[in-house]
Amino acid sequence: MKNAAGVKSNLAQKHPFLFEMKRNWLYYTMILPAMAVLFLFSYLPMPGLVIAFMDFNFVDKFHSPFVGLQNFKFYFTSNYAVRTTFNTLFINLNYLVWTTLIAVLFSIILNELRGRVFKKVYQNAMFLPYFFSSVVIGKLVTDIIFSDSYGVANQILNVLGFDSVAFSHTAAPWPWIIIGTHVWQVAGYQSIVYLASITGVDEQLYEAASLDGATRWQRIWYITLPMLLPTIFVMTLFSIGGMLRGDFANIYAIIGDNGLLYSTTDVIDTYVFRAIKTAADFGPTAAVGLYQSVVGFILVCGSNALVKLYDKDYALF
Amino acid sequence: MEKRTTSEKIGDFFMHVILLVYSIICIYPFVLTFFVSLTSESSLIKYGYQLIPHEFSLAAYRTIFKDAAIYRSYGVTIAVTAIGTVLSLLICGLAGYALSLQRVKYRNAIAMYFYIPTVFSAGLLPWYLVCTDFLHLKDSFWALVLPMLVSTFNVFLLRNSFKTIPASLVESAEIDGCGPYRTFFQIIVPLSTPVIATVTLFIGLSYWNDWTNALWFINNENLYPLQYMLYRIQSRLQLALQTGQFGSDLPTQTYQIATLFVTIGPIILLYPFIQRYFVKGIMVGAVKG
Repeated sequence: MKNAAGVKSNLAQKHPFLFEMKRNWLYYTMILPAMAVLFLFSYLPMPGLVIAFMDFNFVDKFHSPFVGLQNFKFYFTSNYAVRTTFNTLFINLNYLVWTTLIAVLFSIILNELRGRVFKKVYQNAMFLPYFFSSVVIGKLVTDIIFSDSYGVANQILNVLGFDSVAFSHTAAPWPWIIIGTHVWQVAGYQSIVYLASITGVDEQLYEAASLDGATRWQRIWYITLPMLLPTIFVMTLFSIGGMLRGDFANIYAIIGDNGLLYSTTDVIDTYVFRAIKTAADFGPTAAVGLYQSVVGFILVCGSNALVKLYDKDYALF
Repeated sequence: MEKRTTSEKIGDFFMHVILLVYSIICIYPFVLTFFVSLTSESSLIKYGYQLIPHEFSLAAYRTIFKDAAIYRSYGVTIAVTAIGTVLSLLICGLAGYALSLQRVKYRNAIAMYFYIPTVFSAGLLPWYLVCTDFLHLKDSFWALVLPMLVSTFNVFLLRNSFKTIPASLVESAEIDGCGPYRTFFQIIVPLSTPVIATVTLFIGLSYWNDWTNALWFINNENLYPLQYMLYRIQSRLQLALQTGQFGSDLPTQTYQIATLFVTIGPIILLYPFIQRYFVKGIMVGAVKG
């Protein structure tokens, strides 16, 4: 018995990896399928980024000739670079700001209100849009609300004494429609996330504040909001990494192939989608992808470092 | 409960108004859509969208259910949702369990492996090439299942919830000769039904609602899931508007809207029963991302 233990610890010292595998291999088989799927769909595409430096063709595929930075030059000197980058950042920044503001506001209100029944009803209603696919939401937006002929938006405009707007030909309002739709779809969901971190607050804190004569505003400002900060930081960090990735499904479901609206709504992902579907030049397309990934990565690391400076506990990694 | 001052009561009133108005904004489009789908096409053209239709008609629904396409798509969506949810839950659950255990030495390194793709991804094109060229997913049923199988978020959500189960429970089971898999299925799973219910619903919903995988990979009409079918109706109409070629089979407005309602019917019907599980799940997940 003593001897066996000696052999074991010997193996543990010399080959810690083999020892661990021998001891726990069954546990590792539990993780293996998930790792394999992730490998296929997330890691295997990574080497494909070399296409960004190639004059890609379908005969040679990954052995296509290298062309250096040619593809980047092609994209960045085209009109598309500025337009799609601007649209992407504009839409994503507004997503982030408005969703956070409104969700935090709603969560504070839900926390302040008493009446369980009311709260339940509000939560149920606000959460509803989150359950539907972007196609359904896109159809509601384009066919029901902003349809040229019978849409609700035009009905409202007419009631207020304005002329109807031919939305399907007018590019200007669409970024705001996309942003509004997104906020409408996720604000209820996010307010529950924020509410969850408020309900973690010790009731005694509020009671003590009340005893000391704190007003409602003071309670919100000095107790509730500080409690929300970590969650706000984490949620913001998560979305900052995706700043250059468009919200493809939602935007494409709303705009589709309506070229008249591209000037204000074409984001990098929809541009890439069209390039792939029309089998246009893959080299520049991959260059765009690499640009998104690298900038996204830098943004996440940068903002994470900033948050870390502020408070280590709030950082993601 | 403490008494409320007048200013607080006024504040309460405004807060109720804000949430009430927002709640109506959230529900109204769906209610309107439902009644529009019950309107006759002629009354729709004459009066536009109305909450109370001028002329009731079930014609749109009759047309939809006469067509075999809707049954086919329902079949595809149900199959994708069922198979995808079961597989995904199994794979994520097992991984989450192993990652929650102290005795698994490399759990943190592996957690990092799961985390990296959320920060750095190769982007759409390399992913598309891997799926089509390497995995041959084009026009395959599995194109609708595999890409969404593992979500880092779900793995971590399950891991965090399994972590709250006392380690002594697992240890004593193992001393009694229970293998890791048996421990998982007979002890851990029964103890974690709330979080598993939530994750099941999250996964099921994302499979039910997915249409982008079909957009990327499916050209075969027999494999159109519901949401993609709905999308196709819209793009067919857009195409007609752009080219000016209005065929005789052009979908009518009510037909489109009724189709929308048919695809979301099950969600609307289940919503009152499943909604609380989502809320609970978010609460669990929010404790520590």
